[in-house]
Amino acid sequence: MTDTVQQALKLMAIALPTMFLVIFLFIGATALLNRLFPFKGE
Amino acid sequence: MDELLVGIVNLTWKHVVMWVVAGILIYLAIRHDYEPLLLLPIGFGALLTNIPFSSAVGPDGFLTRLLEFGIYSELFPVLIFIAIGAMCDFSPLIRRPIAMLFGAAAQFGIFATIVIAAMLGFSLKQAAAIGIIGAADGPTTIYVATRFAQDMLGPLTVAAYSYMALVPIIQPPIIKLLTSKKERLIRMEYEEQEPISKTALVLFPIMITMIAGIIAPISVALIGSLMFGNLIKVSGVVERLSNAAQNELANLVTLLLGITIGSTMSAEKFLIPEVGIVLGLGLVAFIFDTAGGVLFAKAVNLVLKKKINPMIGACGISAFPMSGRVVAKMALAEDPTNFIIMHAIGVNVAGQICSVVAGGVVLALVI
Repeated sequence: MTDTVQQALKLMAIALPTMFLVIFLFIGATALLNRLFPFKGE
Repeated sequence: MDELLVGIVNLTWKHVVMWVVAGILIYLAIRHDYEPLLLLPIGFGALLTNIPFSSAVGPDGFLTRLLEFGIYSELFPVLIFIAIGAMCDFSPLIRRPIAMLFGAAAQFGIFATIVIAAMLGFSLKQAAAIGIIGAADGPTTIYVATRFAQDMLGPLTVAAYSYMALVPIIQPPIIKLLTSKKERLIRMEYEEQEPISKTALVLFPIMITMIAGIIAPISVALIGSLMFGNLIKVSGVVERLSNAAQNELANLVTLLLGITIGSTMSAEKFLIPEVGIVLGLGLVAFIFDTAGGVLFAKAVNLVLKKKINPMIGACGISAFPMSGRVVAKMALAEDPTNFIIMHAIGVNVAGQICSVVAGGVVLALVI
């Protein structure tokens, strides 16, 4: 296995969880937004 | 007299092949309506750059100037993102943020393709630029390619836009392969939900920018411009700016972006074996994206009481709204009374944000 392939695999191993972490933060923050500022017939 | 013959004398078979390539792009745009806003100017730009001694390219050529000013400076992709943001309606996503998980899963193709490209001998930066085709998002592809693989900008962009146009052909067979008829028939009720408060609509783009920016500051240009465009739309107080972003800005930058990208498709850069591999890997990225989204939805179904139609996982790729429509159509083909369009579009919108996040993560991690 070449060095570049190892780097690519390492990138995938770090990037995928990082991306999901960011998305979980987005989901949590959006859910919070909905709860804090519900629609009140504006 | 020699001056007049310089074009003919220096004409090579490579130029002619590129004319054919340009002709195909123009043909696909006009005849088959494949991403005409981009493929038409790209095709004509390729034509302009492949005329021997063309004054459109070179140190004084207007296309080269545009390339330096608009692409290498990363200005055009960022401006396009402002326009896209102003066109986006994130309401389905704010209402049902969990859809973002499907968007994230459908970015799997990016990373799988990076690994495959590395196996094929590309450098990590080149592999990353190739993998980003799987973001199914033109501006992100251009942005990352400008940073990591400027020499491959033309083929990468053509691959990204071509495969986005080909989503109705690429996705259905993969979705069918990975799902049973029973799964494709799963109904998803759409309950009429309360509208979203204006405060939430306004805070959403600000919040997304802050979170993404703090985790990956390098992504701020991408996600920030997308969210700025959205903010001017949802704020409701700068309608003129919102309209300008959605119309004048979008049209002008698209026009210049396309023809400028086309100008990078010179014969010597395009007619090399690597380009064929790049185009093939782009397709691989789209296939893995679709598979990633569908398989993730199937995995989620294992723990859900009320099952979701796993086809919506495929909409997590960013090709908006094409992918959402394709999946909704597939559900209708299986059962003419099964309307999953709202769910599919919600996941498709999530894909737009997630593809930018994926681009930002790749930019942050590949140095």
